[in-house]
Amino acid sequence: MRFPNWHHQDDELTEELRSHFAIAVQERMERGQSKAEAEAAVRREFGNELQVREATRQQWGWLWLEQLMQDLRYAGRLLVRTPMLTAVVVLTLALGIGANSAIFSIVYGVLLRPLPYPQADRVAMVFLHFSPQNAEFGTMSLADYFDWRSRNQSFEDPSIFTFGRFNLAGVPNPEQVSGASVTSGFFSTLRLKPLAGRFFAPGEDAPSSPHLAVLSEALWRRRFGSRKDVIGSATNINGEPATIIGVAPAQTHFPRAESELWTNLQLVPPTRRGPFFYRGIARLKASVALAQAQAEMNAIARQIEHANPGTYSQLIMPVVPLHDAIVGNVRRALLVIFGAVLFVLLIGLVNIASLLLGRATARQREMAMRVSLGATRSRLWRQLLTESLLLGVCGGAIGIGAAWAGVRLFRSWNPSGLPRLDAVRLDVPVVIFTMVVSLVSGVLFGTIPALQSSRPNLNAALNEGGRNMSAARGRRARNALVVAEIALSLVLLVGGGLLLRSYLRLSRVDAGFQAPADQVLSLRISRTETKAEKAAVGIAFFERALDRVQHLPGVMTAAIADGLPPDQQADSDTFVIEGQPWTQDRFPSTTLVSVSSDYFRTLGIPLLRGRTFTKADREDSPWTVIISESVAQRYFPGEDPLGHHMKMSSPTLSRIPYMEIIGIVGDVKYTALDSTSAPALYQPFTQNYDSRTWLVVHSSIPPATLTRSIEREIHNIDPEVIVNRVNTLEQLMSDSVEQPRFRALLVGAFAMIALTLAAIGIFGVMSYSVAQRTGEIGVRMALGARRIDVLRMIFREAIALALLGIFFGTIGALVATRSMTKLLFDISSTDPTTFLGVGLLLAIVALIASLVPAHRATRIDPMNALRCE
Amino acid sequence: MPAQPAMNQMKARYQNRIEILQGTLDLLILQTLQWGPQHGYGISQVIRFKSGERFDVETGSLYPALHRLERNGWIRSDWKTSENKQRVKQYRLTASGKKQLVNERSRWERLAVAIAGVLSPQE
Repeated sequence: MRFPNWHHQDDELTEELRSHFAIAVQERMERGQSKAEAEAAVRREFGNELQVREATRQQWGWLWLEQLMQDLRYAGRLLVRTPMLTAVVVLTLALGIGANSAIFSIVYGVLLRPLPYPQADRVAMVFLHFSPQNAEFGTMSLADYFDWRSRNQSFEDPSIFTFGRFNLAGVPNPEQVSGASVTSGFFSTLRLKPLAGRFFAPGEDAPSSPHLAVLSEALWRRRFGSRKDVIGSATNINGEPATIIGVAPAQTHFPRAESELWTNLQLVPPTRRGPFFYRGIARLKASVALAQAQAEMNAIARQIEHANPGTYSQLIMPVVPLHDAIVGNVRRALLVIFGAVLFVLLIGLVNIASLLLGRATARQREMAMRVSLGATRSRLWRQLLTESLLLGVCGGAIGIGAAWAGVRLFRSWNPSGLPRLDAVRLDVPVVIFTMVVSLVSGVLFGTIPALQSSRPNLNAALNEGGRNMSAARGRRARNALVVAEIALSLVLLVGGGLLLRSYLRLSRVDAGFQAPADQVLSLRISRTETKAEKAAVGIAFFERALDRVQHLPGVMTAAIADGLPPDQQADSDTFVIEGQPWTQDRFPSTTLVSVSSDYFRTLGIPLLRGRTFTKADREDSPWTVIISESVAQRYFPGEDPLGHHMKMSSPTLSRIPYMEIIGIVGDVKYTALDSTSAPALYQPFTQNYDSRTWLVVHSSIPPATLTRSIEREIHNIDPEVIVNRVNTLEQLMSDSVEQPRFRALLVGAFAMIALTLAAIGIFGVMSYSVAQRTGEIGVRMALGARRIDVLRMIFREAIALALLGIFFGTIGALVATRSMTKLLFDISSTDPTTFLGVGLLLAIVALIASLVPAHRATRIDPMNALRCE
Repeated sequence: MPAQPAMNQMKARYQNRIEILQGTLDLLILQTLQWGPQHGYGISQVIRFKSGERFDVETGSLYPALHRLERNGWIRSDWKTSENKQRVKQYRLTASGKKQLVNERSRWERLAVAIAGVLSPQE
């Protein structure tokens, strides 16, 4: 490959020199010399034409390019001549660079990229943490907010919000969107400017303020065709008329990525401390540090606790930077995954280093030869550098492609429901950084050993053909690399193993229902109703809907419930048992589910005592409640709970009646599969009506085929009812463990890659070792060693390396997996089974990887081996 | 042996020869081109003639120097066909080459004065 310009210049030089020659000859001939004489004289004068050309060419400043081309051609030939080695190195690099760039892009996007709000680092969220609820980032009540706001010094304008799902009316496409109800300072806290219209003005969260709505850019475009005249127009949200006042810019992904609508809260002064629906968000005043704000919140929390001794104990109000609050628990998982992928890169690098080291040792003779032929050290450096660069560029190119595809796949799949996915994109600096790291290490390991031979002791290198001291040094270095590789793989494998076992245990947890999960369909049914509408209208709707659905062919039973296993908890509240002394500590917030009479039968939840609800349990009949087994055990030890009375909330809340306990059912998990206990209370939906609930259908035919007809039946009764989130219970179960599964799969996949790389590394080292020891093995066999002895010798070497690696790896894993404790379910981070199993696996892999080299060793012909020597 | 007389002849010539001082070849070339465009061989002949056969410009120095000067923009080259149909590459001085020549000359003159001062008998 040559550059046209350069080629041309080269031709010109040739012609120039030729004309010089011709003129000189002609002049001499004019002075009377014969042609032959003249030519000979000029040739003499001229000197070595090649040297002249070379010296002239140097002036063009292109010599380096020419040499680079030479080096590239040479490197290319070399790489093609050893296709296996090249393929392994390039693929390892591609994998390392690809996986690292993809994962780091995700980590960077989620954890590090600044939020799209001006000075977002000055914004914090405020939570409520108290006993007995003990939610790490618990929510506050309106009363807490009022106390905070009136005492606040640190924040500019304390705001609160609560998540909401909003029914947007419209036939034929009623729609439900996710969003939040917020106080008037919400958008100014985020320093957002409306894309159109305006945001809430101060005071628009007063009790009497009209219903207002801010649309997301996406909703505005999708549902309103980006029309400006939508601003100021009336719409219907959750059955209430509301005025659209503005559109939020596209980057507004708060409080959730999918938030599309924000309404104004109406802050009616509360009569009690509860319900706990609200999260605080506020911007720090210019001169206030986060720690100062936290100190002030601690003081406020103490005052609130003193004023409300029955409600709170150990009350704190954590102030969490907005970014941390959004990222939340994803941070740890992402960091573990990132750690895993770094390990893969590290192992890959070690592998490449080991492979190149082997090749470099083998090339010492070549290098020595070149030096003795006059190559300068810098020239050798350049050549080796070119080779490494060529490898790196090939690997990097494939790697970047892989990373790009990986990030795209991840964005469209988002297996673990990551927040801030919009901030994830392939990060070019990261890609470059990873490539540079790979290249530099490749160059270091590939070049230094080779260059050792350019030191003075040329004779030794040339004479002994590499079987000398530096070869032994090279072998020791490779052994050390393989030990490191095995150790690193062990750490990864243990991590992956722990996550996998943890996931398997989690997925085998009994959620408490016995119906086959793939036979139960669940659909979210949301009725849009006005405040004026009586609950009876809604109850009648659901009873009619249930009746229609129950008569569909293939439906065995159908029921409604506003909570579902394994993690669709709808409501939870404290409660009171008649005749038992009440403290909030003793009656912590407990899952409360409103169900129709066939719920327990539909899901196969066992009735242990008493009866389930019947159609006779109506609004106006005596209130009844069914308790779960663990509630019975805790509050009625050695006593029959049936016939006792209890009520929700607290004794002071007198509006609600006591309910009679009529039955005890098995425990069902409503908060998560990994929750330790599952206390739950059930009420008939007629006595605790909710306009949004789940329809569950146990069918004898594939449930998905029922979806259409169920939707049709419901829309026949009321076309404005929203039916969405259609799943089988099996899917709900599976979705609830998606994050652990994703972590286990990803880290597991990385661990398998690591194992493969380690196997390649062991194979390489053992092959090299056998090749180096050909003579020795020949001697041994000539002296009577049997094949089995040779085999044993090679295996012993492999096992020694493996054991050393396993030893160091175990130490590393014990340290590394401690950071994973919070991600594990029902398994210790030092689980001996996992450690032993992984160790054994690695030992076996080491043996298998040395099988081929060992076999090769046994086939060494003593005569040949000795003759070569 | 035919090589013998040639060797003697060369030796004789080399006795009169002075090494061109490092860095002065550029000056000589620029000076030569001041009198008009010239090709490589012509330049070497002019220098040889003007130095009273004392300076022998080797091709191995001449062409690298020409190409270097051209790259610096001090001379320019073009192809001409001579009377006897020989295509030759001619070099000519550029404007900045003229400036460079003035600089080089004054540098040389200062150098010569300085060296003469050092070498002159003490007063």
